[in-house]
Amino acid sequence: MSSLSPADFERISNSSEKENISRPSLSYWADAWIRLKANKRALLSLYLIVALLLFTIVGPLIWTIDPALQDLDQISQPPGSNRLALIIDDYEPWTGLSSSSENGLRLAESATTMAVRLVWDVLPNASGHRVYRNIFPVGEERAYGIPLAEYFDNSTQFFEDRLDLKPRRYFYSIVSLGENGELQDEYQSIAVDLQRVTTMSEARAKGLILPNSELTTGDSINLNLHPLGTDYLGRDMLSRLMEGARVSLFIGIGAPSLFILFGIIYGSFAGFMGGKIDQFLMRFADFVVALPFLLFMILFKIAFGIGPGESGVFPMLVALVVLMWPGTARLVRGQILQIREQGYIGASQLLGARTNYLIFRHMLPNTLGVVLVTITFAIPSAIFIEAFLSFIGMGVAPPTPSWGAMSNEGIKNMLTSPHELLLPAILISITVLAFNLLGDGLRDAFDARLRNQE
Amino acid sequence: MSRNINQPKSSPKLLDVNKLAVEFDTYGGVVHAVRDVSFSVDSGETLAIVGESGCGKSVTVQSIMGLIPMPPGRITSGSALLRGQEILGTAMIQGRDIRGSEIGMIFQDPMTSLNPTMSIGDQIAEPMQVHKGYDYRKAYSEAIKLLELTKIPESTKRAKQYPFEFSGGMLQRAMIAMAISCKPSILIADEPTTALDVTIQAQILDLLQELQRETGMAIVLITHDLGVVARLANEVAVMYAGKIVEHGSVEDIFYRSAHPYTLGLREAMPTNDPDKQSVLSPIPGSPPDLFSPPVGCGYCARCPWSMSVCESKNPEGFYLNEGHYSKCWMHHQQSPVKPIELYFEQQTHG
Amino acid sequence: MISYIVKRLLQGLLTVWFIATATFFAMHNVPGDPLLNDRAVSDAIRANLESKYGLDQPLGTQYLIYLKNLSQGDFGISFTQENREVNDIIREHFPVSAILGILAVVFAATGGILFGALTAIYRNRLPDFIIMILVILGISVPSFVIAAMSQLALVSFNSLVGVTVIPVAGWGTIFHMLTPALVLGLGTMAYLTRLMRSSMLEVVGSDYIRTAKSKGIPAPRIFTRHQIRNAILPVVTVLGPSIASITTGGFVVELVFAIPGLGRYFVQAVQQLDYTVIMGTTVFYGAFLVFMVILVDILYGLVDPRVRLEK
Repeated sequence: MSSLSPADFERISNSSEKENISRPSLSYWADAWIRLKANKRALLSLYLIVALLLFTIVGPLIWTIDPALQDLDQISQPPGSNRLALIIDDYEPWTGLSSSSENGLRLAESATTMAVRLVWDVLPNASGHRVYRNIFPVGEERAYGIPLAEYFDNSTQFFEDRLDLKPRRYFYSIVSLGENGELQDEYQSIAVDLQRVTTMSEARAKGLILPNSELTTGDSINLNLHPLGTDYLGRDMLSRLMEGARVSLFIGIGAPSLFILFGIIYGSFAGFMGGKIDQFLMRFADFVVALPFLLFMILFKIAFGIGPGESGVFPMLVALVVLMWPGTARLVRGQILQIREQGYIGASQLLGARTNYLIFRHMLPNTLGVVLVTITFAIPSAIFIEAFLSFIGMGVAPPTPSWGAMSNEGIKNMLTSPHELLLPAILISITVLAFNLLGDGLRDAFDARLRNQE
Repeated sequence: MSRNINQPKSSPKLLDVNKLAVEFDTYGGVVHAVRDVSFSVDSGETLAIVGESGCGKSVTVQSIMGLIPMPPGRITSGSALLRGQEILGTAMIQGRDIRGSEIGMIFQDPMTSLNPTMSIGDQIAEPMQVHKGYDYRKAYSEAIKLLELTKIPESTKRAKQYPFEFSGGMLQRAMIAMAISCKPSILIADEPTTALDVTIQAQILDLLQELQRETGMAIVLITHDLGVVARLANEVAVMYAGKIVEHGSVEDIFYRSAHPYTLGLREAMPTNDPDKQSVLSPIPGSPPDLFSPPVGCGYCARCPWSMSVCESKNPEGFYLNEGHYSKCWMHHQQSPVKPIELYFEQQTHG
Repeated sequence: MISYIVKRLLQGLLTVWFIATATFFAMHNVPGDPLLNDRAVSDAIRANLESKYGLDQPLGTQYLIYLKNLSQGDFGISFTQENREVNDIIREHFPVSAILGILAVVFAATGGILFGALTAIYRNRLPDFIIMILVILGISVPSFVIAAMSQLALVSFNSLVGVTVIPVAGWGTIFHMLTPALVLGLGTMAYLTRLMRSSMLEVVGSDYIRTAKSKGIPAPRIFTRHQIRNAILPVVTVLGPSIASITTGGFVVELVFAIPGLGRYFVQAVQQLDYTVIMGTTVFYGAFLVFMVILVDILYGLVDPRVRLEK
């Protein structure tokens, strides 16, 4: 204490500067934005959403392959699969001649995606044969696969398979038939790996080789590129996913925007009018809420009646708007009722503010935070509903691709080519996830602000 | 004349809090909510901790009781001795040895401080089941007696009811019944009357006083209302910006205020004395930001007598007489502004 | 309480009337009004329909006839199958859907409450992170994908063990029911877990829990006596809508797992454009959901004294 000097005890004045100790105050939106930026998950999901929008809007400008085009050489190809094809001579009918000298079931010549030519020797005690093809080995349960042909005498000992061949391994079996055509125990099975081939004329027709090219039979060429593979009709997955994103996001963003707009108008009108009108309007909203949602979506779809060539996107949009607005209306009404009781509204009225001013300057801006959160949660649920309905075949009509419709088609080939289901499913999941996380972040950002105000 | 306040204690007090400091991690930074707070209380005494909202008075008692959420809260230093035994941050305070049995507590807002889905009787019976090992039936009949003791009419019927069926004043009585159910030696009352209207406030304060006379318990009263202090307290600690700035008997505080803040508080208090001025004079400015507390005296920016040392150095406690200290540089020998001037100005002001 | 229940039931009836009316006019809005043209397959059905629905009468009269039938609990007759009443169809297929739905709701509610409480207790620790990641997946992955994946998993599990322990599809034994019910309840379970977690956290930070702590109540007792009961309230309030979403979500699960429930039948009816069956099932489902919501609200009253005593 001895270190104190008289100078220390000079009186100082209370300048206003000294009192200026509080931190700079932030506006409602600035504060929410800072909180949102501090939330890594929300920020990441925001980036994801931007990326998705780019994929949807800019993607088709870069990847211009027609999503409806069928590449019959490449059907149900997984992403990144080999797309080399051998050029061979044009197809010529086969008379059953074989150069192979082996015994039993065997290939007459090397198997290609154009034709698999089989010859065999008569099985013991057989009065005929049935030819089967499977994608799995026959095994103990004698799962032969799909029957391709049957012969009730032993005169025919060859078979040519040209049915929907893919460049993969097949298991061909012949099973001996009894005198009355009944299936007998005796069978033979071989595994056949098919070589992808194309002919000169086909390749030229598809523009895979130039007219003046020097490629000839026996050379290999690259078939069209499909980065994410193809579906069961040989359509390009990437361009279909982009097209599907347009449909899914159009419904996912369009419908919530419309019904939330309607909900805001309806809810703020009800909340502002109050009394009997409010009660009546909200009673009606309760009724609409009570409608079994998905059943009515389907009902509306039938009621609209989708004509040939229509995608069914529009009826779904209308149905979503008609059925989903009450949630927002209730929320906005609640907010308006709450705000109406606040002191600053009374103060504003005392100062002579008109109704319009009150609504647009005070009431609506104060509901916007809540509404924004509602939108971010409404988008994933609309996307889900679209996917759900398209999945059970009640949504957009084929061939229009939406992610849900693509999943519906993909689930049929789930075992053999899982990418047809997985790719659209992953995109749905990512989109829904991103919007949900963003919604969480927004809610926390606005909520924290509300808590601080208490 | 002036001594440091950190002198050795003679005999262990009932509750002795020494150099307590509490911080909170928030998204805006670390809040130094309580900074170097010391006080003590003995049986039969009532200590009032006074200060404006946000000065750290609730945090002080809640951190002693182990009720602040940790994290984000953190007790950085200090001790709290109950009959000479350390309880601060120990397993003992978390368990059933002290809370509810040795120290009872009532809170500011009785509407939200009681469980909405549990009947009042059950809530009062619960501490006796836990601490005294009563079976439910016995505890419940004791609870009804306690409701009578706290002057709740029709106690048998009331015990079956739920908090939403009670008025605020009745709820606070039920709260008090709950807090004293196990006959604690200390009752901490955290703003017990703030949420109630004035007539009810007086009834609650009378009740507290009556209970104290009967049981001899110590009361630690947290309030911002000097009227409540005058009515109930023996000793007063004035808190500002996380620190106790003046401590003394109730007479010291009201008649020999030795800190400019205490004086400011008194001037901001309404009075019904016709001789005194009828205009209240508020303290200009606002409390300092506890994210980065000032180096010197926290009140410096609002103090009409501030000196340059107030900005740069934290004032120690200056003892004016036994049990009355003030943390203000004005009491330093070298200070040109003498405390006598403070008293003088105090008289001309008041 | 009694008058509250009566009031709710009357409101419910009014709501069912609204649903029936909306259904009626939606179906009569179908282009070309299929009830009036010759799409009914056979003359016998046609004759049935005419007598049942008064198709030769004006629209208003048809509406009254329709309401009269409904009020007698008669949901109509099939448009495509002779002598098939919607009531028969419901009687045959609804119990299957109901069992599936009840199992799924039980899964979702117990799982949601349990996991929600766990995550709140272990907040920001490992169990919380793991469960919340699963919850986010459960919310984001469409149910048909989960259904397909679980089928795939079952197939490979069965082939690994060598016997069919848990059947991949179909209906009959409890083993048939478990997987679809779990898949059906999963989304709702995830939603309820989140709700329970935030509700628990709110309760943990509430004033009355602080009071309970100040009374020296040990943590386990605070958890069982104070936290759970209060935290469960918001979960109970959304149970009604959850039952609705689980019931309609059953459509997909019934399709994927080939379960002969009312949902699958409804989808078939839509594909065959069996208008009267669609109408009947929609109204039936609507009425069922309305009364489930009322039931849940009444149950809520039992948990929350504020509702029980005020109404």
